[in-house]
Amino acid sequence: MKEKFLEISNVSKTFPGVKALDNVKFDIVPGEVHALVGENGAGKSTLIKILSGFQQPDLGAKIVIEGKETKLNGVMDAIRQGISVVYQDFSLFGNLTVAENIGINEIIEKNRPVLKWKEINEKAVKALAIVGAEIDPKEIVENLSVAKQQMVAIASAVAQDAKMIILDEPTSALSRNEVETLYDIIDNLKKKNIAIMFVSHKMEELFHVSDRFTIFRDGQYVDTVNAKDVTEDDLVSMMVGRKVEIKSYANLENKGPVALKVEGLSKKGNFKDINFELHEGEVIGITGLVGAGRSEMAQAIFGINPPDAGKVYVQGKEVHIKSPSQALQHGIAYIPESRQTQGLVLPKTIESNITLPVLKKYRNKIGLIDRKTQRASVDKWVDMLDVRPNDPDMLAMQLSGGNQQKVVLAKWISTEAKILIVDEPTNGVDVGAKAEIHQIIRKLASEGTAVIVISSELPEILSVSDRILVMRKGRIAGEFLNKDLTQEMIMSKAVV
Amino acid sequence: MNFFKNLRSKHSNELTLAIIFIGIFVLMSILSPDKFLSGNNIKTMMFQMPEFGLMAIAMMIAVLTGGINLSITTGAALSSIVCAFILSSEFSQNNNALGIVLGLIACMAVAVICGVINGYVVAYIGVAAMLVTLGSKTLFEGLGLAFTKGGSISGFPEAYSFLGNGSVLGIPFPIILYIVVIIVSYLLIERSAWGTEVYMVGCNEIATRFSGINTKKTLLKVYIYSGVMSGLASILISSRYNSAKTDYGSSYMMQAVTAVVLGGTSISGGHGTVAGTVLAVAIVQVISTGLNILGVNRYIINIITGGILIVVLALRYITKVMEDNRKIKERAAATAK
Amino acid sequence: MKNFAKNFVKRKEFGIILIVVILSVILTFLSSAFLTVTNIMDFMKSNSVYGIMAFGMLPVLISAGIDLSVSATIALSAVVIGKFMLAFPNSNPVIVILVAMIVGAVVGVVNGLIITKFNIPPIVTTLGVMTIVNGAVLLGTGGAWISGLPQWWVSFGSFKLFGIIPTQLFMLIFAGLVTWLILKFTLVGRGIYAVGGSQSSAVRVGYNVNRILIFIYAFCGMMAGLGAAAHISIVGQVDPNTYTGYELDVISTVVLGGASVMGGTGTVFGTTLGVILMAVLKNGLILARIPNYWQKVVMGLVIIIAVSVDVINRKREQAKLVRVDVEE
Repeated sequence: MKEKFLEISNVSKTFPGVKALDNVKFDIVPGEVHALVGENGAGKSTLIKILSGFQQPDLGAKIVIEGKETKLNGVMDAIRQGISVVYQDFSLFGNLTVAENIGINEIIEKNRPVLKWKEINEKAVKALAIVGAEIDPKEIVENLSVAKQQMVAIASAVAQDAKMIILDEPTSALSRNEVETLYDIIDNLKKKNIAIMFVSHKMEELFHVSDRFTIFRDGQYVDTVNAKDVTEDDLVSMMVGRKVEIKSYANLENKGPVALKVEGLSKKGNFKDINFELHEGEVIGITGLVGAGRSEMAQAIFGINPPDAGKVYVQGKEVHIKSPSQALQHGIAYIPESRQTQGLVLPKTIESNITLPVLKKYRNKIGLIDRKTQRASVDKWVDMLDVRPNDPDMLAMQLSGGNQQKVVLAKWISTEAKILIVDEPTNGVDVGAKAEIHQIIRKLASEGTAVIVISSELPEILSVSDRILVMRKGRIAGEFLNKDLTQEMIMSKAVV
Repeated sequence: MNFFKNLRSKHSNELTLAIIFIGIFVLMSILSPDKFLSGNNIKTMMFQMPEFGLMAIAMMIAVLTGGINLSITTGAALSSIVCAFILSSEFSQNNNALGIVLGLIACMAVAVICGVINGYVVAYIGVAAMLVTLGSKTLFEGLGLAFTKGGSISGFPEAYSFLGNGSVLGIPFPIILYIVVIIVSYLLIERSAWGTEVYMVGCNEIATRFSGINTKKTLLKVYIYSGVMSGLASILISSRYNSAKTDYGSSYMMQAVTAVVLGGTSISGGHGTVAGTVLAVAIVQVISTGLNILGVNRYIINIITGGILIVVLALRYITKVMEDNRKIKERAAATAK
Repeated sequence: MKNFAKNFVKRKEFGIILIVVILSVILTFLSSAFLTVTNIMDFMKSNSVYGIMAFGMLPVLISAGIDLSVSATIALSAVVIGKFMLAFPNSNPVIVILVAMIVGAVVGVVNGLIITKFNIPPIVTTLGVMTIVNGAVLLGTGGAWISGLPQWWVSFGSFKLFGIIPTQLFMLIFAGLVTWLILKFTLVGRGIYAVGGSQSSAVRVGYNVNRILIFIYAFCGMMAGLGAAAHISIVGQVDPNTYTGYELDVISTVVLGGASVMGGTGTVFGTTLGVILMAVLKNGLILARIPNYWQKVVMGLVIIIAVSVDVINRKREQAKLVRVDVEE
């Protein structure tokens, strides 16, 4: 076995109120892909912050790099010692060129008041070549696709002479093909003897790229295992700490009349020829790879991203929806994927968020908002969905992910929408709240709401839907009744 | 008791401003009891404050959405110039009452049009409010200059001067108008559905739009309201000067921003109260009038106003940092146990 | 080469060049006086002050900030050098210009310190500083003009190289050149773009953001100081009241030159075009004998239309964006 590049032990991190990391350890060998796995809140991102020098661990932590005990004092220090992070959002400057983004750390490091562009460009070309990316170094970064931006971020780490690169959820925004390219890049880096810490919770890719797994749970170290010695089920039970049982709600009978009908819906560069019917009381799951056009299609129905062609019928009547406010008038609700930026007004209270779409309902005789009736109905929703804390004056930004999502759900339930479209409802939500959200969705359906659930998580889709549509490259590639289905059957339609 | 607790926790900013206002008022009264507290001076302030206050409310509503309206004063001047043409026409000389009514209608119509222009470009085209109103400021000013050839228009019917100079039961008319506007603005901004939408748009336009709110309409109304407020101010100004000219009231633009920010409205939008703005207006007014009476140079008063703006915001930041530090320490102590 | 041409047409600057060219062609037909060297030199001279200040404002806008205090700064610098020349009649233009720039830089540093130390938004900070500095200028001068400047200054101001190129044009070119060099080739210049692109990322990669911000406002103030020297070298006296509202004209110029108030974008080339566009427009209105009063109407419309077209174009580009690789 080669000498370890990095070995840490006794690492803890206390924040006001929580112990995010409790005495964890981790080590990595040059040329190895070592995955760090765990659920949300397991402490993965805290460890990344510590290894990147962004935060300091509690006293007593031991960090050894190339056999020498050391400290990581700040971002530049970590980079100097060979550790670079490729963040989920890449932390690139969209307004600058590829070359400058790649060279930026060195520019700052050298602290030369006058720059040598020729040198910077040459370095960038070299780093891009190591990564194996064909990108013009003079291109402005925001004009690149997400996958290419990621390559730039990786090249930037390479240019810093990183001996260890941390990839934080690197595939979350990539399409299938792009993920394959990423695998190639990782192989290239391995050959250059660079250690890779791969942080993800997607089983398939974890097993595809990793040599070893280290599992964290609730801020604690669980185990480190060789990838070839374990199965997916083993890994999941180590992450969750118990066998997760997926409850299936599928109900193939008792369908009401058609609530939403979509015919030949198309939008150039987004999706093409979408046809389906959604019944009252039915839950349709729409899945497929990221970049298959699922959200784009949903946003078209909701009027955010109106289609070029095709027809939409609500309760049998053709509608032309050009904006969310028109969608609301037709009884359509959409819960966007990005809760923090699109779903909630974070600096405002639970009350203002829940009642936002229906403010006019609380108007009294002279047109002002009657605060008592408003408060009464907010109390009702908060109770019904069990939002914690149950204080309507609490700001949305003070809530946990799961409770935030409940507030978004309450907001739309309060509109009494007949058609509810939910985009990745349990993204960033912990296991307990996940089950609650599924229950709420099914309860709404049992009361007659027609629901579309968009999700990349197949277990979720299999649990919550009656019928499943699979999208691929902007089209519907397959349709299943949720009976005797397996994840493999769905995947076979999503990927070709 | 509960009332006071509520006042302290939810309205601490307004409370602080009110204390500052009272403090300065008392200080001025002590420094110059015979002059500052004289009926004459109080009355002068009551005549001057409303136009400034209306301009500040016009600015505040735009700032609440995360925008700004640099065109309030030139838009107001344009409105009053159009009004002045009607007031000084031969028709009005012969039909005083009808002339004034028509003049006021024209003034408000122009104010609404100014608001629609700003609101349309901001909301429906999506240009940053700062740039739109920078352009429309120049545009309105130019139109005013073109109409007046750079001069002023006067010769209004006698009765028109009542609006800016008259009193009802001894109470100056401008202050009556101002109080009505404050109440209406409070109800519309802080208690109506539209007002709530204004705050939500100011915090997060996308999430508000995705909640089924027609945010373009919300924004358009904001700039119309802003136009109407500055239009009302222009009536008081033209009545007080008994004439109309493009640069009347032009100093109110920057002063309005000062008052709005001083009043606790966040320049990035989403937070702020009518009461805060009104109190800040009163503070600035008392300081400038008071110092003026004390014989302080007008320019020094300007310097003090600018200084107060920066010092108050700096203090707000420092107390916030100290507050945060205290909270972190408390939590750390709690977890240590 | 073809690619270059194609990309160039797509660039913002191309639109501005197009407008300048079309305007110039129209004006050439309208008035034989337009396309003469003397006329061009004349209108560039009279617009050099806005131009110099615009180059100072450019980095501010790139960093997503704004500086409203430049009108007060130029007034202060003008008054200081006016009094300086009366006190030291044996000085020379270089020293005077240096004094003007130092005074401006000091105001800028104050702006920068307030913005960074107290976390007060630039628009509010510079508004406050503007009020204070303006007050101080008027207090110091009582609003009175300063005249009777030394002869060497007057001849410096009216000097023309080869009898053609005025001094102020050199100052303008100097301002543009320095701004370009800083933005393109220096660490702090690249930091300005980084801060405007994403302030949090700029911190994350290790830029000293506070130092960059202070530099930006100091530079903007310095250029306002240079603007003051240019202005009083043209008019030959100091009127402390004349600079009110300059800040908005300067910001308009930079914005017309393609910089975004949202930060991150803007180039010296674009701002240069903005300056030329403004100058041609003003000159054109005069040559076309459009009354003075209507000039502002045209300016206002140009600003509104220019920024609107820019936004509409950007939205159209975005709508065309392919988000999904659709199987046809």
